[in-house]
Amino acid sequence: MSIPTTPRSKTSFNPVTPTTKRTAATHIVQSSPHYTTTRRHSLYGVEDRVVIDPGSRVWKVGFSGEGRPREVFYATEGASSLWTLRRAADAAERAEEDRMLEVKMEKCLRSVFHDSLLTDPKARKVIIVEHPLLPIYTKDTLARVLFENLQVPSVSFASSHLLSLLAVGRITGLVLDCGYLESVALPIFASRPLFPQIQTTPLAGSRLHSHLRSLLLLFGTYLPPTSPGPVNIPTASRSMRVPPEILTDSILDELLTRCCFVGEPLLSVSSNDTRDVTPGLDEGSETDLPPSSDATQSESDFSHVGRDSNVSSAQASTSDFSVISDPRTPVGADPRAGGLQGLANLYTRHSTATDLRLRVAPLPGGGGLGYATLIIPGWVRERAAEILFEPGDVDEKSVAEVILDALLKVPLDLRKTMASSILVVGGTPMLPGFIIRLHSELLRAIQPSPFVPRHPVRPDKPPPPQYDRYASLRPLTPYFAIVNNPSPGEPHSDRAKNNAGKAPAFTPATMAWVGASLAGVLKTGGVEVSREKWDEVEPMGGEDSAMGDMSTSTPSQSFHADRDSLHQRNILPDWTRIPLPTGVPSAVTRVGA
Amino acid sequence: MPAPSILYHCPCLSTSPVPPPPHLPSSSYSFHPLHTLFFCEECDAVRCNRCVSVEVSGYYCPNCLFEVPSASVRAEKNRCARNCFMCPNCRNTLSVVPSDPPDPGDGRLMVPISAVGEPPFLLYCNYCRWDSSEVGMTFEKPTGLAAQLQKFEDSALDSLEFDRLKEHFEPIIRASSLSSSTLPTQAAHSPHTNPITAAATAALARDIPGVAKYTPLTRSQRGHKDKSANKDEMPQYKSRVDITTASKHGTGGGELDVEMMKRLEDVSEIARLEQRWSLSWTTSIETRDLKPLRIPLHSKRSKRCPACTHILIKPEQKAQSVRFKIKLAAASYLPAIVVALPHRQQALAVESAKRSMVKSTTAPPDEDREGKCELQAGKTYPFNLALSNPLYDPIQVRLSVQRMHVSHSEGAPDKARRPPFAISLPTSPFTISAFAEAWEYEEDDEMFGLDDDEVLEARLRGEKEIKTKPKSVGVLEKKGNTTVIGGEVVIGKEARGNVKFNMLVSFTYRSDDPSPSESNDMGSPSKAGSKVTETKTFAFYTVVDLGAIIPKEEAKYIDDIL
Repeated sequence: MSIPTTPRSKTSFNPVTPTTKRTAATHIVQSSPHYTTTRRHSLYGVEDRVVIDPGSRVWKVGFSGEGRPREVFYATEGASSLWTLRRAADAAERAEEDRMLEVKMEKCLRSVFHDSLLTDPKARKVIIVEHPLLPIYTKDTLARVLFENLQVPSVSFASSHLLSLLAVGRITGLVLDCGYLESVALPIFASRPLFPQIQTTPLAGSRLHSHLRSLLLLFGTYLPPTSPGPVNIPTASRSMRVPPEILTDSILDELLTRCCFVGEPLLSVSSNDTRDVTPGLDEGSETDLPPSSDATQSESDFSHVGRDSNVSSAQASTSDFSVISDPRTPVGADPRAGGLQGLANLYTRHSTATDLRLRVAPLPGGGGLGYATLIIPGWVRERAAEILFEPGDVDEKSVAEVILDALLKVPLDLRKTMASSILVVGGTPMLPGFIIRLHSELLRAIQPSPFVPRHPVRPDKPPPPQYDRYASLRPLTPYFAIVNNPSPGEPHSDRAKNNAGKAPAFTPATMAWVGASLAGVLKTGGVEVSREKWDEVEPMGGEDSAMGDMSTSTPSQSFHADRDSLHQRNILPDWTRIPLPTGVPSAVTRVGA
Repeated sequence: MPAPSILYHCPCLSTSPVPPPPHLPSSSYSFHPLHTLFFCEECDAVRCNRCVSVEVSGYYCPNCLFEVPSASVRAEKNRCARNCFMCPNCRNTLSVVPSDPPDPGDGRLMVPISAVGEPPFLLYCNYCRWDSSEVGMTFEKPTGLAAQLQKFEDSALDSLEFDRLKEHFEPIIRASSLSSSTLPTQAAHSPHTNPITAAATAALARDIPGVAKYTPLTRSQRGHKDKSANKDEMPQYKSRVDITTASKHGTGGGELDVEMMKRLEDVSEIARLEQRWSLSWTTSIETRDLKPLRIPLHSKRSKRCPACTHILIKPEQKAQSVRFKIKLAAASYLPAIVVALPHRQQALAVESAKRSMVKSTTAPPDEDREGKCELQAGKTYPFNLALSNPLYDPIQVRLSVQRMHVSHSEGAPDKARRPPFAISLPTSPFTISAFAEAWEYEEDDEMFGLDDDEVLEARLRGEKEIKTKPKSVGVLEKKGNTTVIGGEVVIGKEARGNVKFNMLVSFTYRSDDPSPSESNDMGSPSKAGSKVTETKTFAFYTVVDLGAIIPKEEAKYIDDIL
């Protein structure tokens, strides 16, 4: 018995690996070679496929062959995302969750065909932009609604990371997709996604949402609408802590997309401290008030601040600017808040961003007329996204670390290629300055961390060498390049110069959609599942029907049972379902042989 | 939907015909208001908007009501190709206005040169005063603006770049498909190969990452220092406009954008996400750069039964018409049911009377009304169901309440088995008179009218029931094609949540080809039962929501206030 001596890391490139490229190639062989000539002549263009990029929050839909999606919409009504990273453990609860998901998906998909695209679903093939970590039950639900409710002729799933690469004219690169639920880095070589090297972190849009919310609850200011009457209360005495109910998902979205941006890393700012001697804006001196000044008006329960803020804040604050910077948490009572205050002071000192006022709908029943005002401190606008870049831990890496970890797993001779063709896509990188910051964070994370003297474990042994996770990546430093970096700095190598900022100026958020549209017009893309194939495996044929039986012992249970049987369907292609390469036989069999 | 309400079940979402228990949040999607439902005569089934298959029977612009032929719909990207535009700021319809006539300088008003006004023409928003000259958009003619704009759209940066990408990839894909198709034919020339070995050689020849190609030529080439420069045998794509260039013009999230955001004084200067998220090309994020939007077309839809593909509803072709050629609405097949809570109506009446008499009430009026109108735990309330018959024949209706679901409150596991409320409804069938035009009804058949044989019979039967049951349960009133049924709900002491229950309504109606002699006997249930051949029965589920239960403690609190 000859044992293959191929090293382990290379077996993952076994030809069994699902490559969209090859399936696409076989598909092309079978399909008509005349498509390039015929497609322009079709009057109704039925062979243009419907391209759907179903995010957990935002969906982008359109036709293949077009440069931009026809419509973009929120798929969520009320809830913050269609699905989450966790599922209920209880079977009945999970079945209920699945039903809700199906109901919502059905609504979205039907509106895609009937309201957005105004097209007949039975005549259109569909390309689904598929995130590599899209939960399989979600994918099943999507396919079930498309095939059974809308009866589309075929559905193909294509990896979002690969499609994004197509949109920048490449088939090799390291793609970071920073979406709402997760940020996922996936290296792709010659259009083959290297799925075993995928790296993910939950630091993404949803975390940014909750971080911004807590920052605003602590440091934002809320001005209720003026009450009718002759007495004009000064702004300062009206201002109060932001009520949590004001910060709805849509308001947070608006704040993130219209007010927030990503500033430079603080280290570089503080290194040239000469700059912020002139704070530029007049409130700079007032914001640096020592925290002790608000000891007079410290309130223990800030949930009820709104009721009596007219009295209390009128005592202490003189200008509304000082109120903004007052977290009004009793100093020392909450060490966490104290730390936050320190951070706030630090950021405030280094931020020249202006404070912004946003008109928001007031609390119901709060009295007063017109809109309320939300004041967002400038440093919050600039530093809210800091949460995504702070060095994380094993479970929650920062977005820079997630890229570096993926690089660590990539085979040695691909590292340089990958490091110099990083592509950043997704909704969160739409923040101005995000990609620039990510580049500098990459360089910062790769630097050796400052030396921390460690005590030797045993006195007779020398202290253990410092843990240096990215030491092996350090030679790559001059080669790092983000291909869609809008403002690449001075390149340190020819490679970086050739790649950084050379991608076409598609927005990061729509890149996967554009790539899918391109794949559709090139008749390539993921594996196609036809409706006939789906119907063949259809599990429900002779479903037992307890028709109108009022005395069914537990109607809910039978209901759950037949829903569960629907999930037993494995015809959808997914990389997680590919059998593992055989590789080296296990030691046990070798001994036995 | 405000309680009390009733919704009709469509079984499309689940495989079983029994509706899901009403306490599940997902169950609300299986129930619909009657007026949104369809009825398929072929399948004898209710169909809802979630399951019907929809076809477009015509496109039209909602603004100018122009019917767009489907051939040009695609070319125009589902937008109106005439003069219809939306304001980018407020989504109001824009109007075309001429510019001011040139000032002759002598102070006199000049006569307009033409009837339409002076070019250049602008798009102007009557609501927010936006006009298209702000983005440098003016028109020579006041008509066919979309066609004039088409030039700009075709040369949009995203579509140009897209075409370039397509040209970049097409030869590569063609080459790869060619090589894979020619490979076996080449192999066939050599005598000792079969397709399997050919495939194996092809697999071996493939460049495996991490393994250098075992050919002396490539080896010598790879002696070059930067050997991994271009690993995928693909020419590098050169962007038409790359992101660096684009961001130097202030777009694309570059340093210019960051600087602008830093100095931002007013949020309204930045465009909302919804205004820019469908633009795939990086554009300025500022509000002042937004372009007018062409109005999206609407479609007239016909809907078919998903099972038998018979048409359920089909509109008239003309965009101006609001009529339908075919319309199989469930409301013309199933009895309409209206739920009412008599105690609430009384309370409302009393309260309004009280309010008109005594202006200064000590108790806050809101809580007063709640205390009277809401369902309190541990009490018994009557409710009414008014059923109206849409058919031209009388029907026999039978109501039954689906077995109550077990309470899902986690707080009381010992009482979890007990249903939070009990519903009593008349179990025997009752009749509803045939639908007739309004003038055909008698004026005086109000409470158990004695003028009609049918009603008399029903009344006798109803009185029999009334002997054993309290007055509130049973047939309360018959008027025209409407019969009012009284029911009662007993709410448990620990009950919470909503009084919401599934109710099966089964009705027997005369089938399409009746023998004329039988038509008079339809009213009596015993005879209808014996003549099964002429009648058909249809059953459907509904969910009745009587409103929220006020738990014990809160109820006490309200009582104290009163």
